Amino acid sequence: MAKTSLVVGFVALTVACSGGHESRATPPAARVTTSAAAPAGALGTAARAASLAPDSGSAQWIIPAKNYASTRYSGLGQITAANVSRLGLAWTFSTGVSRGHEAAPLVVGSTMYVVTPFPNILYALDLSKPGAPLKWEYQPNPSTASQGVACCDVVNRGAVYYDGKIIYNTLDANTVAVDARTGKQVWRTRVGDINRGESVTMAPLVVKGKVLVGNSGGEFGIRGWLTALDAGTGKLAWRAYTTGPDTDVLIGPRFKPFYPLDQGKDLGVSSWPGDAWQYGGGGVWGWISYDPELNLIYYGTSNPGPWNPDVRPGDNKWTAGVFARDPDTGEAVWAYQWNPHDVYDHDGINELLLLDLPINGATRKVLVAPERNGYVYVLDRATGEVLSADPFGYITTSRGVDLKSGRPIMVPEKAPRTGQVVREICPAAPGVKDWQPSSWSPRTGLLYIPHQNLCQDEEGTEANYIAGTPYVAAIVKMYAGPGGYRGEMTAWDPVARKIVWNVHERFPVWSGTVVTEGDVVFYGTMDGWFKALDARSGKELWRFKTGSGIIGQPVTYLGPDGKQYVAVLAGVGGWAGAVVAGGLDTRDSSAALGFVNAMKDLPAATTKGGTLYVFALP
Amino acid sequence: MSAVLQAVLQFPGAHSALKPAGPQARIAEGLWNSMYATAIVVFLLVMAALLWAAFRRRRAEEPAPDPARERRMRRVVAAAVGITTIVLFTFLVSDISAGRAVTATPGKDAIQIIVTGHQWWWEVQYRDSVPQRWVTTANEIHVPVGRQVAVELRSTDVIHSFWPPNLTGKRDLIPGNENSLWFQADSAGVYRAECAEYCGHEHAKMALLVVAQSPDSFARWLTQQRDTAHTPADSLTSRGQEVFLSSACAMCHSIAGTPAGSRVGPDLTHLAGRATIAAGTLPNTRGNLAGWIVDPQRIKPGARMPPNQLDPADLRALLAYLETLR
Amino acid sequence: MSSPSRSGCRRRRELLAAVLLAAALSACQREDRRFRTWPPAASAIPAVRQSELQPGPTTRDLTVRNEYGDNAWAVSEGKRLYNQFNCSGCHFQGGGGIGPPLMDSQWIYGSQPENIFATIVEGRPNGMPSFRGKLGNDQVWKLVAYVRSMSGLLAKDVASGRNDDMQVRSQEQSTEKARPVQSAVPPASQRP
Repeated sequence: MAKTSLVVGFVALTVACSGGHESRATPPAARVTTSAAAPAGALGTAARAASLAPDSGSAQWIIPAKNYASTRYSGLGQITAANVSRLGLAWTFSTGVSRGHEAAPLVVGSTMYVVTPFPNILYALDLSKPGAPLKWEYQPNPSTASQGVACCDVVNRGAVYYDGKIIYNTLDANTVAVDARTGKQVWRTRVGDINRGESVTMAPLVVKGKVLVGNSGGEFGIRGWLTALDAGTGKLAWRAYTTGPDTDVLIGPRFKPFYPLDQGKDLGVSSWPGDAWQYGGGGVWGWISYDPELNLIYYGTSNPGPWNPDVRPGDNKWTAGVFARDPDTGEAVWAYQWNPHDVYDHDGINELLLLDLPINGATRKVLVAPERNGYVYVLDRATGEVLSADPFGYITTSRGVDLKSGRPIMVPEKAPRTGQVVREICPAAPGVKDWQPSSWSPRTGLLYIPHQNLCQDEEGTEANYIAGTPYVAAIVKMYAGPGGYRGEMTAWDPVARKIVWNVHERFPVWSGTVVTEGDVVFYGTMDGWFKALDARSGKELWRFKTGSGIIGQPVTYLGPDGKQYVAVLAGVGGWAGAVVAGGLDTRDSSAALGFVNAMKDLPAATTKGGTLYVFALP
Repeated sequence: MSAVLQAVLQFPGAHSALKPAGPQARIAEGLWNSMYATAIVVFLLVMAALLWAAFRRRRAEEPAPDPARERRMRRVVAAAVGITTIVLFTFLVSDISAGRAVTATPGKDAIQIIVTGHQWWWEVQYRDSVPQRWVTTANEIHVPVGRQVAVELRSTDVIHSFWPPNLTGKRDLIPGNENSLWFQADSAGVYRAECAEYCGHEHAKMALLVVAQSPDSFARWLTQQRDTAHTPADSLTSRGQEVFLSSACAMCHSIAGTPAGSRVGPDLTHLAGRATIAAGTLPNTRGNLAGWIVDPQRIKPGARMPPNQLDPADLRALLAYLETLR
Repeated sequence: MSSPSRSGCRRRRELLAAVLLAAALSACQREDRRFRTWPPAASAIPAVRQSELQPGPTTRDLTVRNEYGDNAWAVSEGKRLYNQFNCSGCHFQGGGGIGPPLMDSQWIYGSQPENIFATIVEGRPNGMPSFRGKLGNDQVWKLVAYVRSMSGLLAKDVASGRNDDMQVRSQEQSTEKARPVQSAVPPASQRP
């Protein structure tokens, strides 16, 4: 593998840029850049991203996580802390869809690709022309009934570019590959069944010619899986279930979990009562990372179902945990549960940043995970050993993580149960942090975590699994945690294991983040402010009011004109914004799984509507 | 009346606090017997005194008050009060000690079960350190002879009360609270338990059988209960399964090994192995089951099971399938 | 012979007795528990128009009365079914989430009992499952009654009171009547 430095790659692409734009539309997989790209003298530490592949340089943005290490760090430095205050609107684009826009726009060559929430329209915009006119649009026409099995708004978290194709998932559990040039469908594969409660909202990832797709539906009694499809044909290569016998979970001789409690035969069956593992959740609706050196993919699994834990005694393996697998065969190499027997809907699907960090004097290959249960985990990504787990929010449900057993030390009085109301459960079901991805800068060594500060009251109710209907069995009522603010933007130092700075927001920060070489962090708020902060101090440098609340993932790219642009989708919704996107009634505190109670003032702060905003320096 | 008698006679199951089959019931029975015996003696003495007073020959004229006699009388009354106090106090002590013995903490090796009261049936779960080995059944508790059974009592709707008179006293099942008791069966047999707290229309038809069997046959039973339902072997039973899964049945009942996982009604994974249906209302026969499925409101008005209009062929297939659930 | 005033008094007394009796009897009906609706298809599924526009002179359709609309026991049964069959999983306690709110004035597919009956049995295209064959008509009618009570469309004396569960909304009894606003399908019949 060529060890091209990021800077060289950047220059090369800028040169290519001035050549034919179309030539760049067949890019990056080949141009893999393994990078030791931390600019010299960043922090004087050895901290760096594990691998930036398939990063094709800073000009483009071809997967939502930016690179396989999921750092969402852009090497573009035109926009800096010094000049960001002059940032202005370049152009906008209306998606025509009014539900929650969680996707990251992609930039490949001189084309931008935007996926909308249901009905999952794919737009291609021509960046080489003024105002970026529409090149084509592709309508996958997903089943309208699939909206009935989407727990938390009908969102989509984005597409990926691979080998001339834009590949993404539709709500009705189909994966589609579309010719990036023409917008014609290349293949379409049905991966799940809405009548079993399955939907797909995640952005796929392509690793070594395999499209990795997982299902959503932890609130619908699904049986979670991650599936690999052949990127060329869409044919199924392997499927690894989250629950069930080892043969289904693809646990074989290579499986070496670090902790004794994760070792044993068929734990995906024995840690469940009866056949509850058949509809026990454990979906894979979040993020996947890949380490080309170890040849391992990493991804988290969702909550066990139903929320009411009384009906599923046991560790409920392998829900609310993380898997390391061989992408070629799907074989599991190690697994670890953030929350064995999760009782709070604390899914483990958040982004997993693959970094090489100096820990106790040695550089370790780690996986950094800011989790829903309130801890930033640092794991040895070769073995699955927990090196540290430190709280980054207010927690009443556990008293830390026991590094010896790897298990969180739970507070039994806070565990929900049938017929009893348990109060002040902190963090609430969406956790201290939900799906909204953080970013990491090699220049500052900091992790920029968008998250929330919520607590809840909960009562367990009777759980009835009826295929295709919700399987939750809990009445929940969320509210702001201590301090009264509901959102936070936290800069976390994973080496020193502490908060460096922190900004409070009125509403949960449900958008993604991006951090750039110019030391600027971008994120959006649910009341529609798109903000730029100084990556080192957290000082707000710039803000812009968009038409609707922002829950999308900002990206930054180099336009065909050689200028750096920042793009983000506005369009409030998602679980947090369902009160607006779905027009819910705030008189019912339990609406939208209890989130409405914490968001009663959102309808007064924003209205719905999807629009892409693109910014540039004048 | 004859129908009621018939219903009572049809059922197996002893149902009497005076025929104790376990240590706690025996303590209660001992307490009862001692009180009963004492009460008989006291009754006879009182009656004798009353008769003596009634038939004592009346003197012509009242003699002048004799201080010595008055003192004697006072002593008799004081003695009677003293004896009464001692008797009552003895009752109190024996009652408290019986209560303590009955509610003592069960041993560590006791079988752990959870009984959940529903309107109007009982859900029974056997705990195990391995979750996969948990067992769920309904309206029937199987226990090995000579071993303690610790019961956790829960309710999902209203207050019920669990009362197997041959084995132990009653204890309430309270929504939102956990209550517990334990019992032990010393001899094999079938004991009938009831809901002993009025809980709605069908309170009277909310019974449960405690089947005490030898440790070996209990272990066999428990192992068998852990099985999931077998895939239907022939076309009739597979049609029956299809009927079950595609009709209203699957909205309320669960059968492990199929996609039916609702817990509104009893778990039917091993229905055919149970002695009764509708919480001890009818013996589990094909005819009764058919009648129950088609028109449960005739048998148990107000029960939560809705009437089901099924094509006769489908009903036959469904019954054939349900009979395979052993 | 009684004086006129006396007979008036007696008449008044008779009237009072009649009123009391009527009140008592109506209270009986409010709580009437009919366990056996047999056969269960007695309340046939009405055909519901999906459009207000009719070719030719407009015809008024026969409407079906929901026998449970004035029965407190049936409404409470409907509430139990609403939670047990996971209606609450999507609509929650009326505020909505995955499905639309049920306690507000917006009725996408009509607010009359037969509209709601059709919505439950037939399903609706944007995610409402079809419960045909999975629920008895009797159960559906109870659900219909409860769903209407959520936005105050039933009399207060039949709507449910306070829950035993965690309080997440005001009781149906004190929910203000929300005048139905139709958005997609006309109400099946125009009743006062």
